[in-house]
Amino acid sequence: MSKTLSRTVFGVMLVFFALFFVLPIWGTLRSAFIDADGHFTLEFVLEVFRNALYREGLVNSFIIAAWTTLGCLLTALPLAIVYVRFDFPGKTLLNSLVLTPLILPPFVGALGIQAMLGQAGALNSLLMGLGLMSREQPMDWLGNGQMAGVVIMNVLHLYPIVYLNAAAALANLDPALEEAASNLGCPPWRRFWRITLPLTMPGIFAGSAIAFIWAFTELGVPLVFDFDRVTSVQIFNAIKDLSNNPFPYALVVVLLFFSTLFYGLSKLAFERSVATGGGRATTGRETVTLSAPRALLCTAAFATLTGLALIPHLGVILLSFAQDWYATIIPDTLTLRHYEEALGHELTLGSIANSLKYASLATLLDVVLGIGVAYVVVRTTLPGRQLLDAMAMLPLAVPGLVMAFGYLALSREGQPLHALMLGEDPLLLLVVAYAMRRLPYVVRSAAAGFQQVNPILEEAAQNLGASPERALWRITLPLVTPNLIAGALLAFSFAMLEVSDSMILAQQAAHFPITKAIYTLASSLGDGPALAAALGVWSMVFLTITMLGAGAVLGKKLGALFRT
Amino acid sequence: MVAITVDRLTKRFGTATVLADINLRIEPGELFFLLGPSGCGKTTLLRHLAGFYTPDAGTIHFDDEDVTHLPAHQRGTGMMFQSYALWPHMTVAENVAFGLEERKCPQPEIAARVAEALAAVKLEGLGERRIQQLSGGQQQRVALARALVIRPKCLFLDEPLSNLDAKLRLDMRTEIRRICKEFGLTGIYVTHDQEEALSMADRLAVMEAGRLVQVGTPLEVYRNPVNRMVAEFIGETNILPGTVIGPGTEAAQFEVDTDTGPLTASCHLAGWRPAPGEPVLVSLRPEALRLTDDGETSSDRFSGCIDNTMYLGATAQYELRLNDRVALKITQMNPTALLEPSGTTVTATVRIDDVVMLPG
Repeated sequence: MSKTLSRTVFGVMLVFFALFFVLPIWGTLRSAFIDADGHFTLEFVLEVFRNALYREGLVNSFIIAAWTTLGCLLTALPLAIVYVRFDFPGKTLLNSLVLTPLILPPFVGALGIQAMLGQAGALNSLLMGLGLMSREQPMDWLGNGQMAGVVIMNVLHLYPIVYLNAAAALANLDPALEEAASNLGCPPWRRFWRITLPLTMPGIFAGSAIAFIWAFTELGVPLVFDFDRVTSVQIFNAIKDLSNNPFPYALVVVLLFFSTLFYGLSKLAFERSVATGGGRATTGRETVTLSAPRALLCTAAFATLTGLALIPHLGVILLSFAQDWYATIIPDTLTLRHYEEALGHELTLGSIANSLKYASLATLLDVVLGIGVAYVVVRTTLPGRQLLDAMAMLPLAVPGLVMAFGYLALSREGQPLHALMLGEDPLLLLVVAYAMRRLPYVVRSAAAGFQQVNPILEEAAQNLGASPERALWRITLPLVTPNLIAGALLAFSFAMLEVSDSMILAQQAAHFPITKAIYTLASSLGDGPALAAALGVWSMVFLTITMLGAGAVLGKKLGALFRT
Repeated sequence: MVAITVDRLTKRFGTATVLADINLRIEPGELFFLLGPSGCGKTTLLRHLAGFYTPDAGTIHFDDEDVTHLPAHQRGTGMMFQSYALWPHMTVAENVAFGLEERKCPQPEIAARVAEALAAVKLEGLGERRIQQLSGGQQQRVALARALVIRPKCLFLDEPLSNLDAKLRLDMRTEIRRICKEFGLTGIYVTHDQEEALSMADRLAVMEAGRLVQVGTPLEVYRNPVNRMVAEFIGETNILPGTVIGPGTEAAQFEVDTDTGPLTASCHLAGWRPAPGEPVLVSLRPEALRLTDDGETSSDRFSGCIDNTMYLGATAQYELRLNDRVALKITQMNPTALLEPSGTTVTATVRIDDVVMLPG
């Protein structure tokens, strides 16, 4: 790539990043720290900590995040160890089943889990039917304050991310590092504490940090559980009146501060220890073949945990077919009515069309930017290309809720990004918001492709008379197409099912994307939840297909996209 | 100091037999080399001794103790890994102290022995460094100190020098041999580098496809290889196919008919006396051939033209073309003048003792 073109890519990315990443955050910071007279003040932020309601919200968010992370670790770590170390029947199938929670937007899963574990849900009906529970005093599995429900749903949704990171860290560990400990007299269980765990900590911690920050800022799940005493929901409820109220801004700033702090701490604490020895790994890791009973025990444990994570899916599916579902194990009468209605309902049809439009445009933007950034970072020696890489990756560290809020605040009348609102249509705003959030996935998968294609291939084309741009176009791009397709598929499907931006930025029913339509239906009376579930099943099918597609193209590297 | 006895050891990975019926005895205090091309099973054999693999059949004894099924962490052996396997989350001193901690040594003793071990590998004062701050050569010494500090019964070395540059590799050869002898260790060293093996080993074993092909001192193996594979793997050689004409005039000598005419060859293999008409191979080391016209008397002479000349300083390498099919590699030591390629006929001679007959 010529100097001019790489500088152009750098410039475009710089402008995009400044306008749609720095500016929204900066705008939010300004409103949180500058009072009506234009003076700097800490009053608003301090008020967040003084106000009992806000303080409770923060504490609850923190508790939810902490329990979610712990739950994810307790679920994912044993699974990852068993997967990496042992051979057992059904291993490959079960490993791919671990990913299934990712195909269901968590707030749709929350609908399903309510149907399964609620007081009048399937589990209680089953237990009553078996005579294990009294009909007068049904058990409340999800917890009175709904907090338990939010945590359970978060764990079931997020444990795959911890699993993928932990399994990768374990698999990448040079087996010689463990053998050396054995050789020096260390028995296996102590070896795990002294060698394996410390060396795989960066990977495990990276996964946990994602889960923690995700749960800390999650908006959709507490909304569906109707739990409004968490910061994310408090921010969501406050956006109706932004003009003269500095407190939503202050809340966002506090949320951003804590998530950046956790992210930074996780990087700082474990960046330095690298899980490699002095030289390269020389022995491949071998899995242990277990005796039949032990192997089956592994299979059973694996299947149970992955099975539990399918409860929300099952609930959503049953709900979508239910004529009327209350206090029975499965719905009494099954019907396809909701699917028909969903296809006839103005809100659902419109929202599918809207989401397709928003997501395609966002993906297109991501692919163009992603190719440019990845190429400059991997293939050129342009000074400052590390900065370019950092810019493209930074959106991973900022919660979607914070970004969405920033866009909303800055697109109001008289604000710098108001031009993006085409009248009432949030098209441009949503496209930019989706694109910014998913850019890291596309850049990462394109970069992986460029790293695999030997630069010599391009040099050979140049040697035969192709200009650098022609060589890129005719040689390298065709070779990295599979990676680009995979990255684009992921960006597209995540954009289709994005929650924070969609909930906050789309205000008029005519412009609702799918997720906001599901939420609106779910909270309406009558057949609403069943319609929402039907729409949720559609999105599940859709995400499954795209994930399988991306998986077929990327193979094992699919998991790498969810790591930090 | 222990003797290591391997008896009828067999290991299969799936359907592939990676070790086939290995019998071996390594004497106390001996520095023993396992040598062979990649995939020959040398590392697999070492990992059995260290306890990382369990054999499908056969036994391993340290002196009289059967350790075949003893877990790796109870064997009390020291090992140096090819990648060094130093733990990046511990300092140099913590790495070295690890084995002593596992043995529940008292703290003051650990400190003293770690310092002593670091001094033995000339790394005094680097105990607080992190592994990443060390050079490759220093990391290699830490790995050695870590293996030695536990005063192991025996020391296993798995291609320990393969990640070092050439100069450092030469220094470390002497160093490792010195330390093994000083500590009186039984050492087993895996390598594919024949020079390393010849220069350091008390005895060595050449392996191929999961079998021991030859066991002996470096001199024995180099001078009297048992077959073509060993002759070609250890050092360079010229192989000429031929047929036995009959016994020579002296004991252990045979007349062999080759493409270049009849030769007198020596048979060094005990118990092998091929009959006339049997196909055999003749092995001629390049440095055993001499381009002279000093009239030295040997019945084995070759005439041809120099095809190719390569000057290497200490030696010069020539290719002597005898006819359409055969060219001999010849190494001349300390060349003072070079023979340039030309059509002139040149004669090379070789002592009959250096004309080695091998099974065909």
